[in-house]
Amino acid sequence: MALTRRQLGAGAAAGAAFGIVRNARAASEKVAIGILPLVSHAPTIIAAARGYFAAQGLDAKLVTFQAAEPMAVGIASGDIDFGVTAITGGLVSLADKGAVKIIGGSLAEKKGVDGQKVVASNAAYAKGLTDIAGLRGKSYAVTTAGSSFEYVAYKAAQKAGFPASDITYRPLQTIPACIAAVKTGQVDAWDMLPSIIAILLHDKAAHVIAAVQDFIPDYQVTTVFTSTRNIDKRAEVVKRFLAGFSRGIDDYDAALVAKTMAPKEVDAIVAEIHKYVFAGMPLAKARPHITNGVMHVNKGAALNVASVADQLAWLNANKLVPAGSTMKKLVDTSFVKTF
Amino acid sequence: MPDEASGPAPARAVAVREVPFRGGGFRPRTNSYVSWAVFAGLILLWEAGSRLGLISPIALPAPSQVLGALVDLARTGMLWKNLSVSLMRLGTGWVLGSILGIAVGLAIGLFTIARAALMQLTSALFAVPKIALLPLFIVWFGIGESSKIATILFGTFFPAVIATYSGVDNVDRNLIRMGQSFGLSWGSIVRKIILPGALPAILSGLRISSAIAIVLLVAAEMIGAQYGIGAYILQAGSLFAIDQLIAGVTILAVLGLLISWVIARAERRFLDWRS
Amino acid sequence: MRLLADRVGHRYGTTEVLRDIGIAIGGGEIVCIVGPSGCGKSTLLRMLGGLEQASEGRVLLEGEPPAGSLNPITYIFQDFALLPWRTVEGNIRLVLEDHKLGATAMRAIVDDVLERTRLKDFRAALPRQLSGGMKQRVAIARALAVRPAVMLMDEPLSALDAQTRELLMDDLVELWTRERFSACYVTHNLAEAVRLGHRVHVLSRRPGRIRETVEIDMPLAERAERAAELEAMQRHIWLVMREEARAADRELADAG
Ligand SMILES: Nc1ncnc2c1ncn2[C@@H]1O[C@H](COP(=O)(O)OP(=O)(O)O)[C@@H](O)[C@H]1O
Ligand SMILES: [Mg+2]
Repeated sequence: MALTRRQLGAGAAAGAAFGIVRNARAASEKVAIGILPLVSHAPTIIAAARGYFAAQGLDAKLVTFQAAEPMAVGIASGDIDFGVTAITGGLVSLADKGAVKIIGGSLAEKKGVDGQKVVASNAAYAKGLTDIAGLRGKSYAVTTAGSSFEYVAYKAAQKAGFPASDITYRPLQTIPACIAAVKTGQVDAWDMLPSIIAILLHDKAAHVIAAVQDFIPDYQVTTVFTSTRNIDKRAEVVKRFLAGFSRGIDDYDAALVAKTMAPKEVDAIVAEIHKYVFAGMPLAKARPHITNGVMHVNKGAALNVASVADQLAWLNANKLVPAGSTMKKLVDTSFVKTF
Repeated sequence: MPDEASGPAPARAVAVREVPFRGGGFRPRTNSYVSWAVFAGLILLWEAGSRLGLISPIALPAPSQVLGALVDLARTGMLWKNLSVSLMRLGTGWVLGSILGIAVGLAIGLFTIARAALMQLTSALFAVPKIALLPLFIVWFGIGESSKIATILFGTFFPAVIATYSGVDNVDRNLIRMGQSFGLSWGSIVRKIILPGALPAILSGLRISSAIAIVLLVAAEMIGAQYGIGAYILQAGSLFAIDQLIAGVTILAVLGLLISWVIARAERRFLDWRS
Repeated sequence: MRLLADRVGHRYGTTEVLRDIGIAIGGGEIVCIVGPSGCGKSTLLRMLGGLEQASEGRVLLEGEPPAGSLNPITYIFQDFALLPWRTVEGNIRLVLEDHKLGATAMRAIVDDVLERTRLKDFRAALPRQLSGGMKQRVAIARALAVRPAVMLMDEPLSALDAQTRELLMDDLVELWTRERFSACYVTHNLAEAVRLGHRVHVLSRRPGRIRETVEIDMPLAERAERAAELEAMQRHIWLVMREEARAADRELADAG
C-alpha cells in the first residue's frame, strides 16, 4: 500500500501502546479530529476545550474542513483519525474500499427537538408549494448527486406518494450556492439545518413547508467515523475517543438542547464553540446563531442502524455507490449502543 | 594543394592538438517517439503498481479502471451527452469572452479615454477568483446555461483584453508612423497595421484563455449542471469514484491538447510571416 | 510644388533641439542635410512630413502638388518600415488601397514601380526573405507608387553595409535621372551627401542650426566618375562639421 507513512505511525503507536497500556493516561496519544464549522460539531469542540479527550489520554488536535468530502478522504489517507459527517456516496465508497467505517451516531432527528426543515422559495410558495405533496414537478437544490439532500427529497416524495423522479434536482455544490438559488427563486425547494433555515426566514427569503422529522422519524443525519486501520490497530484509542466525545455530547445537550446548565457555564461553552463556528462575527452577534436551532445529538454517540441501512439502500438503488456496498463494510457496531 | 610553408598544415616540430569543441548542449529538441515511449512506460508502470498493490486504490485507480470508466461513458452514450453540453458552454463562453476581450483590448490600446477608464479596472478584476463569485453569479445569471457561460466568459475575457492591449502597445510605432505618412485612413491603419501586428500577442492570449476556459469548466458546472464533463468530475469526486474522476480529467486533458493543437495550426497559418 | 521650412525651431521639454532653420525643397533637386548625431535631423524631417509640430516657425507648402500625386510628401525610413506580414506587392498595394484606383490602374502602378526598382521577380516574397538592400528597394518602390512631389528620406542607407549602399546610391541616381524627383535626404554619411545632393546643409550640434550650405553643381550622373572632385568637397564639409561632431560626441557621452 502507498500509505506507508501512516502504517509506520500506526505500528509505532501500537508498539507504544503495548508497553504503556496501563499508563495510557500519562503518555498521551496524538489524534487528529476533523470538524466542519457548524454547530452540529460542537460536541467535539466542547470535548476538546474542556479536556475530555485529554482525560482519556488523548492529545487531540481539531482540524477544520469546509466540506465533508475532503474530511472523509483525510480519514482514509490517515491524516485525520476521526470525523463526523453525513452518510454520502463518497463516504460509502471509501468504506467499500475498506478505508473507513462508521463507529457511532451523532446528529439525529428527534421528536420535540428542533430539526431540519424543508423550505420553498418565496416564488414557489406563492404558487402553491406549501407542503411536500407540492414538490411534485418542482426543482430541488442539492449539493451533489447522492448527497443527503437528495435522500431527504426522496423520502418526502415517498411519504407524499409520488415517484422521486418527478423532482428535478439541481446540483449546486456548495451551501452558499444553494442559499443564493433559493433566495432568488432559481430553485423551488431545499432542506437544511435549522440554524441556517432561521437565517433564511429572518431575511424573509423562504417559507418552511415541512419538518424533516415528520417524514423521516429518527433520521440519523450524521455519523462518527474513523479509518479501518484505527479500528484494527488502535481499538483502544477509538474507545477512548468515543468516551471523551460522549462527555462532549452530554455538555452540548445540557447547554444547548435541554438547557439545564447554569447560564454562566453555557456562556463559556458558547465562547468555545464561537472559536470555530461563526468565528468571523463578534461573539454577541454569533451567539443567537449558535444557540438557536440546535439539533439533537444521540447520547453516548448511539447509532440508529435502521436509518443508516435505509440510507445505504437508497444509495445502492440509485447506483450512487459501488455495487454491493454492504452494512458490514460500512458500519462497525462494536463501539456504541445501536438501535 | 598548398605547400608546407604557405599552407595551413601545422608545423611539425611543435606539439599540436585540436581545439576542444565546447559549443554543444543547451539546445533540447523534442522527439515524439521518446515522449510517446515515456508516456506509455509511465502508464505501464502505473498499471503494474496498481496490480501489485504498491499503489493504493484510494490514492489512484489503475489505468485499466480509468479506461473502463471511459468505456462505460462511451457505451451509455453519456460521453457524447456530457461532452456536447460542455463543448457548447466552453465554445460559447470562450468565443464571446475572446471577442469582447479583443474589442475592449483594442479600445484600451487605441483610445486614451478607454485606457484611462479600463486598464486598472481590468488588472484588478483579472485577479478576482471567479469561483468565489459563484453564489453571486447565480443571483445575476440564474442557474441555467447563462451562468455557466458567464463564468467561462468572465474567465477568458480578461486575458484576451490584456493580451490585446499589450499586443497593440507593442506594435512597431514606426509602422504606424509609416501608415500615417502615406495618408492611410484611421480604419486602414487599425485594420492593416495594428491588428495584424498585435495578432501574435492576441493568439498567445487565446492559447492561455483556452486553458483557463477548461479550468473554469469545472467551476462553471458547479452551478446546477446535470450533464457536462465538469459536472461528471464533480459528481465522481463527491462519490469518491476516482476511476471516473480520473477519466473525466483525462477527457479535459485531451480537450486541452486538441485546442492547443488547433491554435498552433492557426499560428502557423496566420503568423507564417514571422521568421 | 516646394516645401519650405520658415525659421523652424523646436524643443522637447527644456531641451532645445532645433533653432531657426530655413530651407526649401523642390524643383527636382535633392537637398541633403548632414550633422552630428542628435542634432535634430530626424526631428526636422518629421516636421517637414507633418508627423510632428514645430514649437517655433512654420512648415509651408508652396504651389499645388502635381496632378496625379497621391501622397505629395512621402517618407522613406531608415528601418524600411515594411509590414512583415505582407508580400512585396502587398506592401506596395497598402499605400494605394485607400485611393480607390480600380484594379487595373493599381496593377499598372505596381508593375511600373516594381519594374523601375528591378523587383519584378520578388513580387510574392515576404520581407523576411529579403536582404536589407532589397527591403529598402521595396520601400523606395512603395514611395514611388504614390507619385510624391517631395520625398523625405531619413538615413535610408544607414542600416546597410557599404557595398549595398554603393549599389543603392547608383539606383537612386538612375531613378532620379529617369524621372526627376525632389527630395530631402538626411544622412550623417558625407560620401552619400556629396554623391546625391544638389545642395548640402550642414547642421551644428544640438540645438541644430544651419552652419553652412554647400552647392554642388556637378550632374548626379557624372559623380561616380569624378570621385576626386567630390572627395575635396567632402573634405571641406568634414572640416566644417568636425568640431561640432566632436563636441556633440562628448555631450552625449556626458549625458549618458
Ligand atoms: N520624442 C522625443 N522626445 C524627447 N526627446 C526627443 C524625442 N525625439 C528626439 N529627441 C531628442 O532630440 C534630439 C534630436 O533627435 P533626432 O532628431 O533624432 O536627432 P538626429 O536624427 O539628428 O540624430 C536628441 O537629443 C533626441 O534625444
Ligand atoms: Mg536620426
